[in-house]
Amino acid sequence: MARRRHLKAGFRRALLAEVWQIGRRPGLMFMLAPFPLLLFAILAAVFHLGLPRDLPIAVVDQDRTTLSRQIVRMVDATPEVAVAAKATTLGEGRRLLVDGKVYAVVLIPPRTERDVLSGRRPEVVLFYNNQYMTPGSMVARSVGGALGTVAAGISIEARVARGADVESATQAVAPIPVRQSALFNPSLEYVEFLLAAVMPTVLQIFIGASAALSFARDRQGVAGLGRSLNLGGTLFKTVAGKLAPYTLAYIIVLWGADALLFGLMGARFNGSLAFHATYGLLFVLASQMLGAAAALIARDTVSALAAVGVITGPAFGFTGITFPRLSMNDFSAIWADLLPVTHYLQLRTDNVLRAAPLSISMPAFAWLAGLALAYGSVALLLLWRHGRAKPEAA
Amino acid sequence: MIAAFFREIVAALAAIWADKGARSTMLGATLFFSVFFPQPYLAEVVRDMPVAMIDQDGSTLSRELIRRIDASDAVAVTRYAPDMPAARDMFLKREVYGIVVVPPHFERDLLAGRSAPIAAFSDGGYFLLNSVMSSALTNAARSLGAEVQIGRLTATGVDASAAMAVVEPLIVTIVPLFNPTGGYASFVLPAVFVLILQQTLLMGIGNLKAGRRPDGALATFADAIVYVGLYALWAGVVLVLLPWAYNLPRIGDVAVMYAVTLPFLAAVTAMGFAVARLIPTKEGVIFFLVVLGMPLFFLSGVSWPAEAMPAPLHALALAIPSTTAVPALVRVNQMGADLRSVEGAIFTQLALCLAYSLLAVLAGRLRRLAPDARFGSHSV
Repeated sequence: MARRRHLKAGFRRALLAEVWQIGRRPGLMFMLAPFPLLLFAILAAVFHLGLPRDLPIAVVDQDRTTLSRQIVRMVDATPEVAVAAKATTLGEGRRLLVDGKVYAVVLIPPRTERDVLSGRRPEVVLFYNNQYMTPGSMVARSVGGALGTVAAGISIEARVARGADVESATQAVAPIPVRQSALFNPSLEYVEFLLAAVMPTVLQIFIGASAALSFARDRQGVAGLGRSLNLGGTLFKTVAGKLAPYTLAYIIVLWGADALLFGLMGARFNGSLAFHATYGLLFVLASQMLGAAAALIARDTVSALAAVGVITGPAFGFTGITFPRLSMNDFSAIWADLLPVTHYLQLRTDNVLRAAPLSISMPAFAWLAGLALAYGSVALLLLWRHGRAKPEAA
Repeated sequence: MIAAFFREIVAALAAIWADKGARSTMLGATLFFSVFFPQPYLAEVVRDMPVAMIDQDGSTLSRELIRRIDASDAVAVTRYAPDMPAARDMFLKREVYGIVVVPPHFERDLLAGRSAPIAAFSDGGYFLLNSVMSSALTNAARSLGAEVQIGRLTATGVDASAAMAVVEPLIVTIVPLFNPTGGYASFVLPAVFVLILQQTLLMGIGNLKAGRRPDGALATFADAIVYVGLYALWAGVVLVLLPWAYNLPRIGDVAVMYAVTLPFLAAVTAMGFAVARLIPTKEGVIFFLVVLGMPLFFLSGVSWPAEAMPAPLHALALAIPSTTAVPALVRVNQMGADLRSVEGAIFTQLALCLAYSLLAVLAGRLRRLAPDARFGSHSV
C-alpha cells in the first residue's frame, strides 16, 4: 500500500490497483484462467470420442429369410450403427424409439425375399428419430446407405441373370455416383470444428463479464469511478490499465486452448500464425470493450452482468456454425454482426482451415476492429461522463 | 401454523417482486430468452443454398441434371464457373457454399451405360449445409440415372414394370419421425426452453439468496413452494404455448409433462439454494450460471449423442437436473412418451432434489458456523 501511494497516476498505477483488486478475490482469480480452461476440458471431453459410432438401432424382421438376415448383417456392419434390439412388431420398435433406447427402426415386412425374387419390388422402411437431429441424420445416412447397397447387389444379380457381364452391371446400378469431397476441413474433422467454435464463444462470455465486473465494481464502490480516473490520470490510461490484466489472462487462455487443440489434439493449422495471433488479440479487446460499455450503461453490477449474459450467452446460435447465417432472418443477421465472436470465428475458419488470402479476410477483420473501436468509444464516453458528473459520489 | 405458512408464501412472493434482480430473471428473463433465443433458427430449414456449377459437358443431360438440382428446395444454382480456381474463389468469398462439377463426356457415358460420376465440394465443418447439399445432389442424380436406365432397358424390348424391377428391385423408404421436416428450430428449441427454465430459476434464487443468512426451515420451504409454483406456470408458457406460437411439433400429454416438470423444478430449486449458499455473492452465482449454459446444453445429449461422450463425464453430468430432464421432456412433448417411459428420469429428479436439499442444509449450517463471512455485503 505504501509503495502504491508514491506511484504517479498513469497506466501502471491503474494496472497495479486492478491486480491488487483481483488478488483480493479468489473467485475472480478462478474465473480468469482455471475456470475457462476447465470448461474447455469438459467440452473437449464431450467431443473427445469424435463422430459417434455404434449408435443403437432396432430391426423388425418379419421376413426371416436369407435376404432379410443379410440386410440385418449389412446394416449392423456399418461402423456408425449397431443393431441393439430385435423387435417382433413395429409397435415394439416404436416404443424403443420413444424410450430413447434406439435412434432408428428398420422394418423388413413379410414376403420381402419372395417379392424380390418375383420382381414385385417390396419396400423396406427405415424410421429414424429426427427430433434428435444430429445422431438421427447420421443413422439415416449410414443405414440408408447399407440398404442401398443391398438393393444394388440384387439389381446387379438381376442384370447378370439377363445376360449382362458383371462389370457393366455394376456400373449400371449407380449410373450417376456423387463423389463428395470436402474442399476444406474433411468431414471427419466436424467434431474439431465444432469444439474450436464453441470455445471462443464461451470465452467471449468470460471476457465480457470480467470487464463488466471491473467497471461496475468501481462504479458501485464508495469512491466511484472518479477514484479510478485519478489512478489512471487520463481516460485512456485508466481503461488500458484496468483491462490489461484481463487482456493478458484471456489471451493466454485463448492461445493456450489453441495450443491444446493444434498441439495435443493434432488439429490441422493451415494459415498464418501471426495473423491468427492478431485477430485473437483484437477479439479479446473487442469483447472487453463490449463488457465495459455494458457495465457503464447498466445501473449496477448485477444488471451489468445480466446485460453481458444476455448479449454473449446465446451468441452461439447467431454465429452460423450450426444453423447457417444465410438462412437467418434480418434481426439475427444484424445481431450476429454486432457480436465480436461472429467475425472472430469467420476469420478463424478462413485463416486456420481454408488458408484464404488476407484480402478475403479483410471485411471480417475490419468488422472486428470496428466493433472494438465502437464499443471502446462508448465505454470511454460513458467513463468520462460518469467520472466527471459525480466524482466522489457512490 | 397454516397461517404462518401462508404469511411466508406471501412474503416469498413479495420478495421476488421487491428484488429487481429476481424480478428481472424470474419474470422478465424467461420470456425474453424464449423470444430472443429462437430468432436465428426461425427459418427452420435451409432454402436455396447458393451453389456454383462447373458444367464441363454442356450437354442436354448435364443441363437436365443441373435443372433437377436447382429445382430442389434446399439448393439453388446461382453461379456458373469456368473452372475450379474460379469456383474456389467464389467459395472463399462466401458467394457460394458448395461447388458441383459435371465432367466432360457425362452424357456420352451415361447413355452408353457406363458410370458417369459427378463431383461435389463443400466445407466439411458445416454439418447442416453439407447434408442439405448431399441430399439434393443424390436425389437429382438418382432420379435422372434411374430414368436413363429404364429408358435403355425398355429400348431393348423389356416391359416397363420388369425394367423397374431390375433398376430398383427393393424400394428403400426413409421416414423421418417426430420432426418430419427436419426443422432446426424444432430440433433445438424444445431442449433449449427446458434449459432456459433451469438457468433463470437458478439465477433468480441466486439473486434472492446468495450472500444472505439462510432463513428458517418454514420460510425456506415456503420459498421453494413459490418458486416451483411460479415456474410450473412458466413451464406451461415455454413448453406448451411457445411451441404452439412457433409452430413446433408438440404431441405430448400435458399431464405427463408436469409429472416430469414438477420434480425437475423441485430439483432445480434445491440446487439453487445449495448454489446460493456455496457461492457467497450474487455476481458469482450469476456469472457461474451464464457460462455454464452452453456446456450444459451439449451435455444433455440432444444435440450430441450421449453414446458419443465418455461415460464418466456423462455420469458426472447426471448431477445437473437438466441432463436427464431435457431428453425426458423432449421425449414427452415432441415424441409422445408416456409416464412409464420417463419413470427413470422422474426418480432421478427426486433423488437430485433430496441430495441438493441435504447439501443446502449442510451449506447453511456451515454458514452459521462462520460468522465472519461477509453476509449481506451485496444486498441491494
